[in-house]
Amino acid sequence: MTAIPVQRDAGLSFLEQDFAGEPGWVLDITGFDPNKLRVNASLFALANGRFGSNGASLATREGIRRWVVAGNVYVLDGPETHLLTGPVAMQLPYEMVDDPHFRRVVDLRTGVLYEEVDTTEGLLTSLRFRSLARPEVMIARAQCPTPARNAPLLLPPADDEVLDQGARGSASWMRVAANPGGIVAAATDVVDETGRRLDRISVYLADADRLPDPETALDDLEDATAAGVDRLLTEHCDAWATRWRDADIVIEGDDDLQVATRYALFHLMASVPDDGEAAVGARGLTGTSYRGHVFWDADTFTLPFLAATHPASARAMLEYRIRRLPQARENARARGRLGARFPWESARTGEDVTPTSARDRAGKLVPIRTGQLEEHIVAQVAWAASFYADWTGDEEFINGPGRELLVETARYWASRVRMESDGGHIFGVIGPDEYHEPVDDNAFTNVMARWNLRAAADAVELIDTPESAEAREWRAVADALVDGYDPDTGIYEQFAGFHKLEPLVIEEIAPKRPIAADLWLGPDRVHGAQVLKQADVLMLHHLVPDAVEPDSLVPNLRFYEPRTAHGSSLSPGVHAELFARTRDYDKALDALRIASRIDLDDLTDTTAGGLHVATMGSLWQALAFGFGGLRAHAGRLSIDPRLPHSWGALELTVRFHGSRVRVSIEHGSLHVDAERPTAITIDTLPYTVDSTGLEFTRRSRAWEVIA
Amino acid sequence: MTKVIAAIDNSLAARPVVLMATALAEVLGATVEPLHVSDDDGETARACADSLGLELRRCSGDPLECIRAAAEADDVVAVAIGARQQPSGHHVGHLARQVADVIDKPVLVVPPETVPPAHLHHVVIAMEGTPAKTRHLKAAVDVASSADLHLTVVHVDDESSIPSFSDQVAHETDAYAHEFLARYLHGAPRARLELRIGAPADEVIDVTDVAAPDLLAIGWPQSAGGDHGATAREILDRSHVPVLLVAIDSAETS
Repeated sequence: MTAIPVQRDAGLSFLEQDFAGEPGWVLDITGFDPNKLRVNASLFALANGRFGSNGASLATREGIRRWVVAGNVYVLDGPETHLLTGPVAMQLPYEMVDDPHFRRVVDLRTGVLYEEVDTTEGLLTSLRFRSLARPEVMIARAQCPTPARNAPLLLPPADDEVLDQGARGSASWMRVAANPGGIVAAATDVVDETGRRLDRISVYLADADRLPDPETALDDLEDATAAGVDRLLTEHCDAWATRWRDADIVIEGDDDLQVATRYALFHLMASVPDDGEAAVGARGLTGTSYRGHVFWDADTFTLPFLAATHPASARAMLEYRIRRLPQARENARARGRLGARFPWESARTGEDVTPTSARDRAGKLVPIRTGQLEEHIVAQVAWAASFYADWTGDEEFINGPGRELLVETARYWASRVRMESDGGHIFGVIGPDEYHEPVDDNAFTNVMARWNLRAAADAVELIDTPESAEAREWRAVADALVDGYDPDTGIYEQFAGFHKLEPLVIEEIAPKRPIAADLWLGPDRVHGAQVLKQADVLMLHHLVPDAVEPDSLVPNLRFYEPRTAHGSSLSPGVHAELFARTRDYDKALDALRIASRIDLDDLTDTTAGGLHVATMGSLWQALAFGFGGLRAHAGRLSIDPRLPHSWGALELTVRFHGSRVRVSIEHGSLHVDAERPTAITIDTLPYTVDSTGLEFTRRSRAWEVIA
Repeated sequence: MTKVIAAIDNSLAARPVVLMATALAEVLGATVEPLHVSDDDGETARACADSLGLELRRCSGDPLECIRAAAEADDVVAVAIGARQQPSGHHVGHLARQVADVIDKPVLVVPPETVPPAHLHHVVIAMEGTPAKTRHLKAAVDVASSADLHLTVVHVDDESSIPSFSDQVAHETDAYAHEFLARYLHGAPRARLELRIGAPADEVIDVTDVAAPDLLAIGWPQSAGGDHGATAREILDRSHVPVLLVAIDSAETS
């Protein structure tokens, strides 16, 4: 245990105890760079699933942007729809000096942010947290350089207008309206007898459908104030401890990756609530970029981690899709299809909010056709439902809304596939590799549609339902769908005609990778070349390994990866997972490091707008699926570990069918234990593990149980 | 009162130089002092100054030394000079380049075909490579912002600085541009960011040809050897609008 001292000052009880952050559990950044101020604020964003805010310094400085958002609460319509920004409570009237001492530490174990900053009146030290135990509460405790003085408790929102505001006693409130919901914040200060220790207690209420009542916020504020910061902090830390108990990953032998991994898990957990519905935008609750729009990222990359560690949050994400099924049906009907068509970009209503044109980084006005053509999102929603069901065994979901999601998405594909004499085709789509559009018979879309149709048929054939008759049609369509697989080469053709495109091996010709090849070569050149933005065929091996031809991973990885620019922030994590499975550890670790540093090193130059939450999800997938070899299958947790030589050990904790399962991997040995009896599979052999655990040793390329 | 030196010769270029110096001086809160370096009595230069109500300062000797000596005065904030066309077809004469190389203050190089505006309205500032290399142009941004000019910043990535990632174009460009403006153009409400990828000189010239600003500001790596400053020199040679050269440490561009 290494103590990381935070500047202490008399009267500041919490900070009088040195903040003892354990190695591997803290992000600690010291130094001031005015150009990095906004990136720094993003890196120290705090959220609790309901609300999020950036980690801008409590001290004032020109150019600092502070914002608060509430999950699910959107304003405006169409492509302009964005998360409503709320009043800001986290600021104090002390002005930062020009070139201050500036240190910030976030303790990932507890979700507490510590700050030291030089102001014109002296050093301002503080801690703050957005309560995980009481999601409406946000707290700052500060040791002020001079006695606290009167200043506004709440500042106007970053991007939206104040509707009304007022006061009750020493508390202030401020409200912002969406259409039709809103956010109300109430705040008060509690100052000690020295006048220098200040507790800023704030409460936020948000509602997507109606304006929240300021009186309720003020009542909640009184409750929080009565509880006091010490108790609120204890509750908050306990809540985080509970979350980590089911989700931690320990990597021995790579300290940087250890911190980056916990940083990713921390934000994945913080971005999603565990009840109601959760619209998880591309930046979660860590930024206002991408306007809070929900993409396939949420279903494909964020949800799996939660399904495997905190199912209630994954269920809330699915609830978001379930409540938009009526709109998805309308989306399908508007295109002359059956079933449900989920939109590429979704927000409040479930209508498609994808912009239709934009300027790219090269200054060119480009049409945006993802909303029209990137239809694999439909199968991703079904895949997410299935993934959740496989990991949780949630019968109520499986037999209720889960089945409905599978059925409605299958109906869409059945009506979308065109049956011709040579098979079923899906014409005019965009696959995950968005450099080519539109394309016919995209292997990813077709195989995912096929998987979707069969999964729905499996679901309805288990019991006698009105849909059972449809299942025969779904299976017929699935069986007919072409997928571009060539048994001679073992390679799937990414889409019809891909092999006839200009053969460019971008690994050999690009000045670097990752590279945004569409910007480097221009959209026309990449459109006509065998250059991929991210995994496309290989996404099948990543997501549905049982739905692709056996032993097809290696030939497809060898063919497609060198042709992949990795210009999507999702690409490195996926490839890390695939390289790990093929035990190509050097490439796996290279890709893993990129995925882990996307925001910590601002590799996209856009971290100031929020953190890449889906990339964080891909990092977890690389570790859990790739290195841990964890898969849920037929009610059993399959474990097939691969440990790089440079790591001493890897320990993963997940929840499987309601049981906490811990998988500890070392070179030549494997330990698995579970909270309660849990069915696992190792090397195709079934075992049941419980709290006493099972030990395995590696002999002759197979795991043998030794205890 | 600060002043802008307008270094003029006995040619048709004298009047555009003085008028552009006047427009620049207005936003800098300075006056204009025409300077003519010659051993003879230059009538054109004198007439030019007279017609604009300015008093011509004369200097004899080596033109570069005269201009440098004048520019070194504390109250001089910028120098304007003509870009007399060379026989090679390049616009910029060696004197203008030499001046930009030896003085630390901004140098406004005015092509002979310039039709000077009565007041500056629109300035383009060119930034190439990574934004971290653009600190030197902050002064130009500050001036343009304080004068409430319409400001277009063109940022050009080339092969060495091309972005690694571009997720969803409709949102990614916004996110990048938003951060870029916040970092480098904070407090410039009338600023517009033009992002380009390609050969920097080509892209900057293309933007100025389309936008037709009153002047273009670029960083000028002084005494740059080898390829250092090649882009700035090419832009200077090809620009049809006056170019404000802001001296930078050549190490910053490497």
